Order: sequence, then structure tokens, then C-alpha cells
Amino acid sequence: MRRALSAARGLGRRPRLAALLLAGAAAAVLLLLAGAPGLTRDEAALVAGAEPAGAAQAVVAAGRAALGGIVGELRAPRAGSAVAGGALTGLLALLGAVLAGPGGLVLAPLLFWLAPRHLQAGLSATPDAAAAALALAAAWAYRRAALGRHRRDRLRAAISAGLLLGAGLALRPDAWILLAALVVHAALLRLTGRAAPPAGAEAPAGIEARLHGVPLALAAMAVIGPALLLAASPGLLADPAAGLPALVRGQLRGRGGPAPVEWLALTLPAGILAAYAGGLLHAAWRVLRAFRAHAPAEIVADDLLLVLVPVAYLAAGHLGLGAPGAGVRPWLPAAPFLALAAARALLVAAEVAWPRRARPLAAALAVLVLAPPCWAVVRAFPLGASAWSELAGGAPGAAARGLPRQDGGEAVLALLPAVNERAAPGARVFWPGIPPAALALYGRDGRLRADLAVAAAPEDADLAVVSLDGGSRDDEYRAWGALRTDRPAAGVYRDEVPLAFVYARAGAWR
Amino acid sequence: MRPADLPARLARRALGAAAGAGRAAAPLARAVWARRPGARRATAVAFALLLAAAGVHGLAFQGSLPGRLPSALDWAAARALLEREARPGDAVAVSPAWAERAREALPGTVPILALPRYEGELLPGVRRVWLLSVPGAPGFSWEPELDLVRLAARAEPLPRLGALALSRYALAAPHLPLAFLPDRMAGAEARLGGVPCTAAPGGFRCGEGGALRLERTVREVDGRARPCLSVYLPASPGAPLELTFPGVPAGRWVRGHAGLVGGSPAGAPVRVALSVDGEEAGAFEVAGPGFTPFELATPGAAGAFRTLSLVFTWPAPAGTLCLDAVTLP
Repeated sequence: MRRALSAARGLGRRPRLAALLLAGAAAAVLLLLAGAPGLTRDEAALVAGAEPAGAAQAVVAAGRAALGGIVGELRAPRAGSAVAGGALTGLLALLGAVLAGPGGLVLAPLLFWLAPRHLQAGLSATPDAAAAALALAAAWAYRRAALGRHRRDRLRAAISAGLLLGAGLALRPDAWILLAALVVHAALLRLTGRAAPPAGAEAPAGIEARLHGVPLALAAMAVIGPALLLAASPGLLADPAAGLPALVRGQLRGRGGPAPVEWLALTLPAGILAAYAGGLLHAAWRVLRAFRAHAPAEIVADDLLLVLVPVAYLAAGHLGLGAPGAGVRPWLPAAPFLALAAARALLVAAEVAWPRRARPLAAALAVLVLAPPCWAVVRAFPLGASAWSELAGGAPGAAARGLPRQDGGEAVLALLPAVNERAAPGARVFWPGIPPAALALYGRDGRLRADLAVAAAPEDADLAVVSLDGGSRDDEYRAWGALRTDRPAAGVYRDEVPLAFVYARAGAWR
Repeated sequence: MRPADLPARLARRALGAAAGAGRAAAPLARAVWARRPGARRATAVAFALLLAAAGVHGLAFQGSLPGRLPSALDWAAARALLEREARPGDAVAVSPAWAERAREALPGTVPILALPRYEGELLPGVRRVWLLSVPGAPGFSWEPELDLVRLAARAEPLPRLGALALSRYALAAPHLPLAFLPDRMAGAEARLGGVPCTAAPGGFRCGEGGALRLERTVREVDGRARPCLSVYLPASPGAPLELTFPGVPAGRWVRGHAGLVGGSPAGAPVRVALSVDGEEAGAFEVAGPGFTPFELATPGAAGAFRTLSLVFTWPAPAGTLCLDAVTLP
């Protein structure tokens, strides 16, 4: 267990091959499943180009241009997320193997993806899976830059860290939280006298020597990261006076709704939540033990990273800082770190609790922890953003607490077959809360009849398709008044909790 | 031996036996304590047990949830029962309030109430409430049922329909209005500064370009659906808006609620005055959030058909006002 993240380079061929295979398989599965969930408001904004032009939009546009005619209009914008999800799986497998051996290789990706909302992020066009993958990769590169024995290796890793952070910033500007966590990490190591290069490493020279102990990777991240962000944001480059304040404002998410820790408790399946919490405490305990024992940096640094990054994202969420977005989006980049720590904690617990039967015990624990979320994922699919944990009481318990029922209108997709089959020819449909970009995409993908017209107000409509997301229902009630009925013609439910309804004027529903 | 000594002797024997057992078990306990796991192992065992418990709980939750919620058959049974037994003046209350599949599954002739609480609700026109609840649902609360028990003269539990529990409550003091003003829009007249408004589907359009709209609709005010007369009040034209309902069966009271949809944009109050046969009976102001109740006495108007007018004045754009009003005996 004393292997460091940097030891991944010393892994055998088989774990590397296994990680690569897992990455490919995960990307293929994600792409295959990506056609099932409906489009959320956040995704529709990206597809429509309503958000400030940036890398996330470019990825979505590239996916549509390259794959639109091959994999379908709904899958194509999500192809980038599928690729990122594959990369994240590979990274989790690789680092899981480094931290906890072959068991970690399998467990770490499963502990991440079997949370229904994490899987939903991999099936969404939003850049969350990519942000999570880039955060993990940047942290790994940062560690490699600190532990490299040769100057050239350290420089190469530092530049990689800068590029990865820059890509992360370009996709989701809240990657600054990772940089902040790494700054704290470096400062703590320095304060405790563990910032020196490992024994036998080449002495710093050139630019590295001129940094006076500031880690090379941090310097590279601080320079290359913002540069890439600027390069990927033409608006910011053209008018910094207006763009920079807007960028800062975009990171002030504001408080409201459940706190991040509460979100984790209410959305993560209980077994995964317990494993994450245990993993975080285990890593923290290892850090404390290593500090007390004056252990060298390579023992402390990885565990400190596993603690600091999740804590930084959750703390930022508590303070109302970070990326705006529905559900678990804002702190998703913390989850891979938690999954790694959880995988290691589970395997260590089995090893320590019953050394002679460590493997069977670990397997039994893994099955017990992963079977319920696996069941939940199957039951929730494709409405993963409507899934709530056992602690929340599932979707019914969450609805009773007034929590959001979905991320933003995606459940409407499940109603479209009924609308296509039963709406009168040429019917005018009122779609409150459903972005026009989502409707256009459904139409191009053949999911929505071409003869149905969009009505701007319920008074002008024959049908109203309303999405229930736990927020205001004024549009739905207006439709009751205009269509003279409060009885839906069809509905979509998750464990009996309504997610979307169709209301029809008399004669408009065959 | 006297019978009275028996309990004391039995107690002494029991104590002696317990002391002997304790002496015999002490070495075993010492051995077990000596071989207790170290703190690290104990923590690992505790963590493994926690993971196992969380997993078992997760399996039990996922496995039991569908059985705790109503099936299609349960809803069909509820529909058949209500089709057979519901009467005019009946309404169905669903609990929890999110169980709105009832809107799709139950007969359209029975109004559906989906409120988290019923305390203080007037429930106009309702004599009996059928409470359709899902007691097995996670997060279920008995509060709606307790509210209805307080409002009812008689409660009648009915056989369960699978996961659906059903009970019927006859309200002790049903709120039976003589007239619900928003439902009389068809015969109403509207004037803005004395100029007649144009009739439109469900209401009227007034002012230049029909910017001022009145309609019978349902709006969300204070987080609930409110069937009401909605009045969209843009910038004040400097003249009052008068809505007249001829031939209304009047009583001793006009009661209702008024509120602004989404609150008032400028915080400007809206004054609403009620007149009966041309004489002002009272007025009230609406400002800020909430669905505020009002009550105006019309004792002289009782027992006859009267012309009721609502006169709206507002100094600044006020958004959309939602108003319901009933005449009561």
C-alpha cells in the first residue's frame, strides 16, 4: 500500500492493458446508452449555442458534425462525454491498480459509475465527465512532476499538468478549484518539510531552480491553464473588461437547496456513500499517521491529494462557489478521487479484518456494496437524474422533501411515443420549460412528429406537454385553465412520482 | 419450611448460581478480552460491517419499494370504486401530495385535491373527501389525514386496495357557496375607465392592444394551484378596471382570496373594491406574496340576485393578480 500514484509508470503490462480495455468498453457502452436519456436544459443550451462560446460547445458541435448521421442526432452531441467517460474509466482503473492492486483496478471504476447520477453525467452532453477525467489526470500529472527523478520527466509532467488543467478550465472554468486544492497541497508539504525532491532525483536546474521551491507543475498550471482558457474563449479574449467579470460571476453559484454533503447523502447509494466516507477517513488517517511518523513525501502526498481535492470541491459548493448546474454536476470532479479512496479502503478493510480470507471477504463486500446501486441504475435508466438514494427514500422520499425530480425537462422524451401516436394531425403543442433546441433535436432524430406545431401559450394549444421538476407549476396550471382539464392524457412516472404529463384539449387526443 | 420463606430462598439460590456462573466465566472473559482485536482491526471489522449493513439495506430498499407503491391494478380498483360510489360534492384527496397519478387514473368527474395540508382549507363545494393515501411510500406523513379528521364529522375507513389506503370523511361544516364568481365570467362585463372591454376566449381584453387581460384560469400562487379570476395588470392606465357580474345569488358574505402570481414586481399594491348594486360594500389591498384571504359583509344583499362589481385600481405595474371569491349565505 506504500505505492505512490507515480508508480503507475512501473505497472505491469497486464494492468495497463486491462485499463485500456476497460476504457474502450466504457466508452462504447456510454455511446450505446447515450441515445436513451432525454435532453436536459443544460445540454440544450450547449446544443443551441446559447451559452458563451467555448470548448464545451465546440466538443458538442464536433460530435454532431462528425457523428450526427451515423449514431443519431441525440447520441452525437454526447459522443465527447462517452469518450471522456472512457478515459475516466481507464484512469480510475489504472490508479485503482496503483493504489490497491488488481482489486482496485476493477472496484474504482465501478464505485464511480454505479452511482446512477454519475452514469447520467457520462450520458450527457454537458462537460462534466470530461471535467472529472481532466481533474484526475491533472492531479496525476502534478504528482508525477513532483516525483520524477529526471528533470526532463518532471518538466514533461508539469507541462502535461498545465495542459490538462487548461483543457479543464476551457471546458468548465470551475477547474480553478483543483488548482486551489493543489496549491494547498503544495503548501502543506512545504510547511511540513516534505517538498524536497525524492532521494536520488536530479537537482532542480534552470526554470525549476528559479521557482524557489514552488512546484514546477503548479507554475505550469498557473501559466498554461489560464492561457488555454483564454484561447478557448474568443469572447473573453476580444473583450476582457466584460468577459472577466462575467467569468467570475459565473463561478458565484450562490447558496440554496441542499448542501453538497447533503446532496451526496441523498443521491449516492448507501453502500457507495459508506465506502466514499470510509475511503476519505482512511486517507485522512493515513496522512495523520504519516505526519506523526515523519514519513517521506511520497507516502503522504497521494493520500493528502485524495483528501484535499474532494474537500475543496465540497467546500466550494458549501460556499456557493463553482460551476452552476443541476444535480451533482458542480462537484462531480470530486467523485473519482472518492472512488479511488473508497476502493482502497474496502480492500484494506478486508485485508485487515480477516487476513486469511481477505480476497473472499473483499469480493463479498464488493458484491454487497455494488449490487444495490447496480439494481438502482437498471431501475432508474434512462431517468438517472431522477434517482435518489435509500437515505432520501428514493424518488418518493425526495418528492416528499420537495427535491428536484429531474435535471431539466429530460423525462419528456419518454412521453413522445404516446404524443406521436395519439396527437391529432397538425396539433399545436405547448411545451413549457422544454427548450426549443431539445424539440428541434428530437424532431431531427425522428422522435417527434414533424406535423406537430409549437404553441407559444396554452391558450393557443391543443396539447400541453409539461415537465415536473419540483419547481414552479404555473405553466401547467395555466394549461389546465386553457385546455379545460386537469386530467393528464398520459404521464411519465419514476416510482409513482410524476415527471411529465400530457394534457389534451377535447378531441386533440385520439 | 414456611411457604413465606420460599421466595427468599429461591432468590438466594439464584444469586448463588449467578455468582458461580460469573466465577466460572471470568477466565473465559479474560481470555476473550486478552485476544481482542487491535484498534486497527476493530476499525476494519466495523467498516466492513458498515459496508455490509449498507449493502443489505440497499438490497432490502430496492427490493421492497415496488411493493410499497400502488400498482396499475390498485389504481384500477380505486377508479372502479369511485365510479360506483362517488357522489356530487365528493372530492378525492391524495396523500402524499405527489401521488398525482390519481389525476390520470381516477374518474374525471371527481375533483382531485393534492395538498400537503388541509388545515384551514375551505374546500368550496366539497361535502365529502375520499382520502387516497399510500402509507408505504417513503416520506409518508399522516398530517393530511389528521387535518381531515379534524375537519370531519364522520370518518369511515374503507378496505385497502393493495398499496392504496382509502377512507372517507364527511365534512362537519362544508363550505357551500351560493356562487363562485370566476365561474360566472361568461355573463360578466368588463370596462376600463368606462370603455367596454373586448370579449376573448375565457375572459376579456382591455385597453390599447388588449394589453390588460382578464380570464378565468388556474394559476400558481403561494405554491398551489388556484382556480381564479386572473387579471394581468400592466402599467396603470390611470382609470379603474370594473368587472361586473349581473344576477349573482347574493348572501351575507363575500369571501375569497387574492394574491399576485410570483409576487408583485414593483411592490405596488392593488386595490380591489366590491360593490353590490352600485354601492361599495368594502375594499381590500393586495401586495406581496401569499394568497391572502378577504371577507366582506353584504348583509343587506342576502336572499336576492344582485349585480356584483369588482373595481381594480393600481398605481404601477402589478403583474398578474389571481382572485377567487364566493358569495355565502
